[in-house]
Amino acid sequence: AGRERKGPETNIAAQSTHPSSANHSKEAPEKPNYALKLTLVGHTAAVSSVKFSPNGKWLASSSADKLIIIWGAYDGKYEKTLYGHNLEISDVAWSSDSSLLVSASDDKTLKIWDVRYGKRLKTLRGHRNYVFCCNFNPSSNLIISGSFDESVKIWEVKTGKCLKTLSAHSDPISAVQFNCNGSLIVSGSYDGLCRIWDAASGQCLKTLIDDDNPPVSFVKFSPNGKYILTATLNNTLKLWDYSRGRCLKTYTGHKNEKYCIFSSFSVTGGKWIVSGSEDNLVYIWNLQTKEIVQKLQGHTDVVISAACHPTENIIASAALENDKTIKLWMSNY
Amino acid sequence: MAHRGGERDFQTSARRMGTSLLFQLSVHERELDLVFLDHSYAKPWSAHPDASSARPTRMLFVTPRRQHENTIESDVPIDVETVTSTPVPLYDNQKARSVMNECERHVIFARTDADAPPPPEDWEEHVNRTGWTMAQNKLFNKILKALQSDRLARLANEGACNEPVLRRVAVDKCARRVRQALASVSWDTKLIQWLHTTLVETLSLPMLAAYLDALQTLKGKIPTLIDRMLVSSNTKTGAAGAEALSLLLKRPWDPAVGVLSHNKPSKLPGSPLILIASSGPSSSAFPTSRRHRFWQSQLSCLGKVIPVATHLLNNGSGVGLLQCLEHMIGAVRSKVLEIHSHFPHKPIILIGWNTGALVACQVSVMEYVTAVVCLGFPLLTVDGPRGDVDDPLLDMKTPVLFVIGQNSLQCHPEAMEDFREKIRAENSLVVVGGADDNLRISKAKKKSEGLTQSMVDRCIQDEIVDFLTGVLTRSEGHVGSEPRDQDAEKKKKPRDVARRDLAFEVPERGSRPASPAAKLPASPSGSEDFSSVSSSPTSSPKTKVTTVTSAQKSSQIGSSQLLKRHVQRAEAMLTHKQAQVPISSEPAEEAEKEELRVQLKRHHPSSPLPGSKTSKRPKIKVSLISQGDTAGGPCVASQGGAPDAAGGKAIAVTLGQASAGGLLPTARSSASEGVAASPAPSVVSGSTTPSTLHTLQSRLVATSPGGSLPGATSASSLLQGLSFSLQDISSKSSGSSGNPGLPGPGPAPQAASVKLPTPMQSLGAITTGTSTIVRTIPVATTLSSLGATPGGKPTAIHQLLTNGGLAKLASSLPGLAQISNQASGLKVPTTITLTLRGQPSRITTLSPMGSGAAPSEEATSQVLPSSSQFSEEEPTDLGVSTHGTVGAL
Repeated sequence: AGRERKGPETNIAAQSTHPSSANHSKEAPEKPNYALKLTLVGHTAAVSSVKFSPNGKWLASSSADKLIIIWGAYDGKYEKTLYGHNLEISDVAWSSDSSLLVSASDDKTLKIWDVRYGKRLKTLRGHRNYVFCCNFNPSSNLIISGSFDESVKIWEVKTGKCLKTLSAHSDPISAVQFNCNGSLIVSGSYDGLCRIWDAASGQCLKTLIDDDNPPVSFVKFSPNGKYILTATLNNTLKLWDYSRGRCLKTYTGHKNEKYCIFSSFSVTGGKWIVSGSEDNLVYIWNLQTKEIVQKLQGHTDVVISAACHPTENIIASAALENDKTIKLWMSNY
Repeated sequence: MAHRGGERDFQTSARRMGTSLLFQLSVHERELDLVFLDHSYAKPWSAHPDASSARPTRMLFVTPRRQHENTIESDVPIDVETVTSTPVPLYDNQKARSVMNECERHVIFARTDADAPPPPEDWEEHVNRTGWTMAQNKLFNKILKALQSDRLARLANEGACNEPVLRRVAVDKCARRVRQALASVSWDTKLIQWLHTTLVETLSLPMLAAYLDALQTLKGKIPTLIDRMLVSSNTKTGAAGAEALSLLLKRPWDPAVGVLSHNKPSKLPGSPLILIASSGPSSSAFPTSRRHRFWQSQLSCLGKVIPVATHLLNNGSGVGLLQCLEHMIGAVRSKVLEIHSHFPHKPIILIGWNTGALVACQVSVMEYVTAVVCLGFPLLTVDGPRGDVDDPLLDMKTPVLFVIGQNSLQCHPEAMEDFREKIRAENSLVVVGGADDNLRISKAKKKSEGLTQSMVDRCIQDEIVDFLTGVLTRSEGHVGSEPRDQDAEKKKKPRDVARRDLAFEVPERGSRPASPAAKLPASPSGSEDFSSVSSSPTSSPKTKVTTVTSAQKSSQIGSSQLLKRHVQRAEAMLTHKQAQVPISSEPAEEAEKEELRVQLKRHHPSSPLPGSKTSKRPKIKVSLISQGDTAGGPCVASQGGAPDAAGGKAIAVTLGQASAGGLLPTARSSASEGVAASPAPSVVSGSTTPSTLHTLQSRLVATSPGGSLPGATSASSLLQGLSFSLQDISSKSSGSSGNPGLPGPGPAPQAASVKLPTPMQSLGAITTGTSTIVRTIPVATTLSSLGATPGGKPTAIHQLLTNGGLAKLASSLPGLAQISNQASGLKVPTTITLTLRGQPSRITTLSPMGSGAAPSEEATSQVLPSSSQFSEEEPTDLGVSTHGTVGAL
């Protein structure tokens, strides 16, 4: 497909000194001071997702231009492009050892990529509609995917076979994720449900329902797997204690009524909740106090994805087609 | 003063800490013990205020109830990062992982052509299915599905801290599904051999390893079937491969293997003889369950084990329930006496499971034994918990240990505490967390706590050892001239040095001089005025039985009392929990299954029973409802649907077929009327299941009112009717049955059921001064199996019987017996509604009931091609609920 790739000649907008080795001060800071460090230009259509690799070296971005681009996480340097999907890519995820990527595409397939060689290893076929979200389990022998066909599938990485199909949602699946030890799966759907599954058996263990049942646009386990962060299309993020089915915290102030926007836990410095927003900003809340502690301004379209670096105070954000860029924000807290 | 003793205790304790599995497994309790080590004068916090003889309850694997934190304010800091550290597995993780991967390592042995390249990862697409029959395709797909789920579980559990246990649970599940699939084709030899060969040839190595794991598991349960399946491949691979494979499949791996073998329990002091009271009449056709056999071998580590089996004459035909109980108690008793005479110095320990536990207690009241261990004590009866003033067990003087499951249906820890308060004998209670009546822990418990049944069993054993050591050393101390411990002597409390929980010492009751076994071998342990033999029945105030001096007689009555409560309680329980027996397989495959529900309801727990007919009489209503043809028409229902319904399903079919309450009369039995309702031997033609059914129907009809008995058919005859057909199945004589025009559709080709006569209990023959009532309720079971294997498989009914269900079934009889015995004033169950409901569309499945509920898992070599017994060993919810069902029966 004829697409001019700007990737290689990425314009690095900001002069970046070395990646900040943030000083982790003992007392949690009141506010972070994230500032724009880099703008990564390369995608030719809306960016759909950005993810840092678990080893912290790279940033992967997927886009409606059917490409996945790997960037240096600290310097924003373009590394490589992975191509092979026939249609837009909605999500991309890293394996725990940062060697594999899985991507979910509107062409109803998922693809497993070898990052080092830029090679496509497997194509996972089985979904009957757009594949919208995907993730590896912690031991990275399983992949989970959610699709517009309202099913969640579990795949074996090695063989590319679908081992289990979970069909318990009645609307497109917006997000799926394993918990930190791989024993549980969480799935969120436009039907307003958020379900917890036993990964080994595929049994549904728990269902979280919000009072007014807004579509769930994103779900994510907390880093320790004790809580679940859910985003709903009524401008709300909630933190749940899923074992008791209780909502503990509610984060509001941003705008989210239309898109499935990624949000994230930031735990490298202060404890924050980070999310994109439809008012082109990145919002940062204090996890405990639920206050908005910072808004990052710079994007020119809906910030669809915000990701936090595993070890450094770096936030990556990506925006839709009026913007097409990825921005890296850094803080010394 | 207490210094020495304390020190020694500490050493003992420390030694135990190093070696005892129990210590490793349950740290909580040890903390408790440490407190007592420092403050041995302290009372344990859980010491019972009222019951000086009841030691504090010990909890095994009982998860402490999570304290509900007061409603969390939303401002409480939330920690999203810290991962709660996972508990270290209690077993040797490295070793467990190694055995866990055994099959994976040796998978190559299974391959017929070891030189050929293993099938590729996408082997599934390469499987050439041309020429496969539908049955083959179906079977293959089922197996594949099972293996695929297993694969998912393996991958998902990979790296988990308790991966071996999780894997074990997953493999068990997979094995169950494989077995289910194979049972769905009735273990058709050709088909399963084809399947095995095909799987071995086509499966990728990881899948093959999973398959082998499943085979390994099944081999332990049903060796003959698996062997039959492997025959063909063995000829292909050659001797070496076959041998390697058989070695691999020899026994299922256990995550706890290392720990258990390193912590062998030691022999009990005083080389006691351990008598195991059976919980039902034994029969050659129904060997004891694997679990009981396993325990027997476990206990043999502690001392010489002597199982006491009760053999019924004539294979049990014509033996009443009471007689049977009498036999059981008598057998144990005579064994005790025999041992006393042969080895007057040896301590005797009675151990029993469930009903056997009651038998053991009962015997301990009559004869002197050193200690009693009750495993899975059935405390609850319809009257409520045992322990009424007239309960003979309250007269026990023998130290007794109760081990119960936390989730037991026949017992409840709190009720148990109440009971223990009333027992005068020194007693201890161990509650096994998440365990059922047979002390089997649930799958969820295994998963969440990283336990295996073998570990739990070992811990239970440790507790038994602990208890017995205490009792034995103490009694030794009494016998021996030299007290072991000066301090203990000073306190007039025999202090057991081996016990680590010294503070738990129960002060001896002054009234109870320990009677050393050596001196008074045959005397009851207590110092009651009269011998316990006659005391037990007569001492109960309610019973106005003219004292029967013969031991024989009294034991009979005692036994009836013994069982009465038990049964009644079981009934009551059912009214709360409608016992259901869900079928575990998918509906699609259910053609060959049948669901059986048993509901037992009871109204009017008691009513005085005057002798005259006109007044209230016990009413027993038995209704068999077939869901399929509720109308109750005598049409032949489900049979056609299941061509390969094996004979083993006969019973369930019988129940299912007999339809609608309309058929079933409410039978009234009159107390004073002698009812000798022995059914005319009716004959079921050949082996056809349906006809059996119909026979039952007809029989039921026959016994309905309007029969020969004026106005009332005896309840027993009704039960008789129910059971007769089962019995008849056993009697193989062919001929026309009494079923009017209900010829059974031909049995399926493989449905040649082998029927073995089974013990049949006829209840009754109770004689009183004034009236004579002879009631016979034969309950017979059929034993059927596939045509090829005469080995046979105990049906659920039998399991019921062996499980003490027998006793429960007969519970009504004690009632009846007493009715006749005492003119009035005894509690009698007046109404018993027994509803057996079956779905004709599904065939068989008494067995899940049997398996889930009956303590006897099927014997390993037995064959029953029904998918129903898969729940064995897994006390799932299914199992639990079925248990209730059994209790009802």
